[in-house]
Amino acid sequence: MDRVDRFEPVDVCLVLEGTYPYVAGGVSSWVHDLVRAQKDLTFHIVSLMPGTRPPERRYEMPQNVRGINHVFLQHLVPGARWMPRLDKRLAALEAPLRAMQSTGTLHDLRDVLDVLQKSGRRFGRHTLLNSEPAWRLLLRVYEADMSESSFLDYFWTWRSLIGGLFNVLLSPMPDAKVFHTISTGYAGLFAARAKLETGRPVLLTEHGIYTNERRIEIAMADWLYEGPGGSLGLSKPKRDLKDLWIDTFVAYSRSCYQACDRIITLYSGNQDLQRRDGADESKLRIVPNGVDYERFSQIERIPHDRPTVALVGRVVPIKDIKTFIRAVGILKREVPDVLAYLMGPTDEDEDYHRECLQMVEHLELQETLIFTGRVKLDEWLGKVDVMVLTSISEAQPLVILEGGAAGIPTVSTDVGACRDMLHGMPGEEPPLGAGGAITPLSNPAATARELAALLKDPQNLESARNAIRERVRLYYNKVEIDRIYHEIYIEEIAEPTLPPEQRVPPRAPAEAA
Amino acid sequence: MAGIGFALRRLAYRDDLMGIVQGYAHSAVVSSGPWLFTILAVGSINLFAIYLTSLAELTTFRIILIYNFAFSLAFSGPVLLVATRYLADMIFRKDVVEAPGMLLASMLLLLGSQAPVVVSFYIFAVDLAPVVVAAALMNYFLVTAIWLVNIFLTALKDYSSITLAFLVGMAAGGGAGIWLAGEFGAVGILMGFNLGLGLILFSLVARVFAEYPYRITRPFAFIGHFRRYWDLALAGLFYNLAIWVDKWVMWFAPEREQLPSGFISYPVYDGAMFLAYLSIVPAMAVFIVNIETRFFEHYQRFYRDIQHHANYARILENHSALIQALLAASRNVLVLQFCLCIAAILVAGELFAVVGIPALQLGIFRFGVLGALFHVLLMFVGIVIAYFDLRRVLMWIQVLYLVLNGAFTWVTLELGFPWYGYGYFMASLVTFLVAYAVCARNVARLPFLTFVRNNASVS
Repeated sequence: MDRVDRFEPVDVCLVLEGTYPYVAGGVSSWVHDLVRAQKDLTFHIVSLMPGTRPPERRYEMPQNVRGINHVFLQHLVPGARWMPRLDKRLAALEAPLRAMQSTGTLHDLRDVLDVLQKSGRRFGRHTLLNSEPAWRLLLRVYEADMSESSFLDYFWTWRSLIGGLFNVLLSPMPDAKVFHTISTGYAGLFAARAKLETGRPVLLTEHGIYTNERRIEIAMADWLYEGPGGSLGLSKPKRDLKDLWIDTFVAYSRSCYQACDRIITLYSGNQDLQRRDGADESKLRIVPNGVDYERFSQIERIPHDRPTVALVGRVVPIKDIKTFIRAVGILKREVPDVLAYLMGPTDEDEDYHRECLQMVEHLELQETLIFTGRVKLDEWLGKVDVMVLTSISEAQPLVILEGGAAGIPTVSTDVGACRDMLHGMPGEEPPLGAGGAITPLSNPAATARELAALLKDPQNLESARNAIRERVRLYYNKVEIDRIYHEIYIEEIAEPTLPPEQRVPPRAPAEAA
Repeated sequence: MAGIGFALRRLAYRDDLMGIVQGYAHSAVVSSGPWLFTILAVGSINLFAIYLTSLAELTTFRIILIYNFAFSLAFSGPVLLVATRYLADMIFRKDVVEAPGMLLASMLLLLGSQAPVVVSFYIFAVDLAPVVVAAALMNYFLVTAIWLVNIFLTALKDYSSITLAFLVGMAAGGGAGIWLAGEFGAVGILMGFNLGLGLILFSLVARVFAEYPYRITRPFAFIGHFRRYWDLALAGLFYNLAIWVDKWVMWFAPEREQLPSGFISYPVYDGAMFLAYLSIVPAMAVFIVNIETRFFEHYQRFYRDIQHHANYARILENHSALIQALLAASRNVLVLQFCLCIAAILVAGELFAVVGIPALQLGIFRFGVLGALFHVLLMFVGIVIAYFDLRRVLMWIQVLYLVLNGAFTWVTLELGFPWYGYGYFMASLVTFLVAYAVCARNVARLPFLTFVRNNASVS
């Protein structure tokens, strides 16, 4: 809509939710590398954030990023204080918004967008959230769908989910030839809106499956009231608010999948989940992440006295650092002089970090386990014999490949693409052998056992080193991956702009087929 | 998975939706306390003073008292309401260690800010013997200090302590005043009265310090509340100005009196009005009891059920029960006050003759009683509005009352003596009707106000 002219026209608009350049981590590094690799293309970044102000940047953005704008999801622009016939305008939102909280599709998103755009920038939080007509709209939807559930919780659910939706639909739209979102969710909604509004190609690269992550988060959420009886009842009588949250995120994902021209993910395990949420088979594609094989393969071994293991990752609960600490404790009995590093930022979850430190003290591992903080991997990998990953959830942790290129095997939990990377993708020809080991989740004994097996058997270690190095060179080389993305971008940039009637797929393709 | 998404918890609600529901209640009730006391004190003196008219000095005593009550209430209003709110916030947070410090600091602020005006008034504007000036100033500061201490006890709902202190204090003060009057004239009555006020003040202060046995910490922290609750502060100011403005306007009447000491007043009007105000005392008592019991129960349930995850049907049910309770309370008060009002108007003639009040005051008294009927109803509407924390609405209603009471009374001055008192009556009536309409509209949309308009967590 308006304000677009403030942004420089670019080749690719990246849509990022809560990541680059503000949060350090796998996806952020991936984005950073992607942008740096595509030197001849220009980028704009739309960053969707919680809060009201951008936090400190963790990455220096490359020259070809020509602009960045923020969408603060819970902070809708004020807009006009009053609009004529607001009740009637908002009534037109009722059906599509109800759909967005259950079985919504791109058609419903378009209907919402149409209503909002008819009034341009006059819509904002005064009219859409804080007015009496908006209150009546909320009440009608509540009465229609959720009249038995806690109204207080519904109220905040509405403001959070629908408020975020409005925000995404009212934020400025950059001028780009291709829109590339790195997740579904609100970022996916923005990309879907870009398709509806501009008719340009839309790409999705999904690392972790968004709806899955929300499912876990919502299932664990203690701030959402579950109603009397909670989960104790034999059969769950009604759809509750947690279902509504999940349904809404699935509807957001479904709309995004429908709008996307290509749906890329890192490994085949994710594709089942994408299909479940409505992704069209013909759009699906796997492009794994690559690493700089040249750079990491040149890391020289640094002679060291003690057998050394390392976990490279942020100190946060999802990495299950505590299992790692326990595993080191067990491993120490087998390999008494073992040295363990924890390489990664500790400031993201201070409480968890403190608990980890206490655990190290409690297990008397002060001499064995060292928190290095954030480090330059190139300088440290030479000292590491085996790497460890204890995460309870991952997509495709690059560190396995970076270490792998340097000839370091990994003992990892069975999450994301780890099995593919350590044992080879299905149908690997010729088979290269195990580049480490896979363990069950939250099982420190198994992690310790596999580590000991590698550390105590030089021959075993040597063959794992060779297997992983060779696999990275052949299948996970960043140069090759960068070329694939470049090709995709060039193809899509050349695509003609779709006329409005072709931007939405025909209704209910499943029924037609 | 790293990085994508953000903690949903941050999107979730904060728990201050209901804010400090209890707190609103205290600031609502507290505004009526000093007024009640003023009516009782000045009204009774007017009533019984006739038996002491032989004392020429009595006039001076009475005028000093009226000036002190009127101006101390008007000047103290903002500080009182903001301090009450701050105290209620502390009680709600269950962290009252700042209370004793705040008492001292707000006392300092109250007395310090008013002292320059009051001291120069008594020294330069009027011509009184130095000893009378000293007694008058002492009286002013005692009265002001009592208004303040009062809020600490109201917030505790410790009505029995207040009542007892006031009864004992007023009895002692009255006794001492009459006893000293014969010997020392105006100074004697004033000092006797001061003795009573001092008794009240210090027993209340003792009670407060017993309740909050903490060291003085962050005494001036409450000053910050003035920025947040400026509308409440202004409402306090305008309300107290509004209930005095008709008397001040009437001091410009051609029939006004100027004492040799320089005080201007119009005792015919003031006296009749204070007698009229006495008629609202029973209604106020009934209403406050009603509000504190039946209404408050429904009021709390409305908010508590929301907090306890009620569905909307339940919220609506509680909403209408709350409205029913309000209507029932208003009906009781209306019937009572209406009967009292009619009775007072009918028997006024006989009564005045019996107790020896000049018949000159009859007309003003009758308008006064009618005005007081709507004034007390207006007060109740104001209390209800304060309960729902509609501070801005409250402020504008007080502004309206101030303007109307001033303007209408001014018009009656032009119309002449038969109309005296009519301005107050009309101002009370019109403001009440407006306030009632505004209040009814807001109470009707209470769920919307609770969740959206008045919700501190909603931006």
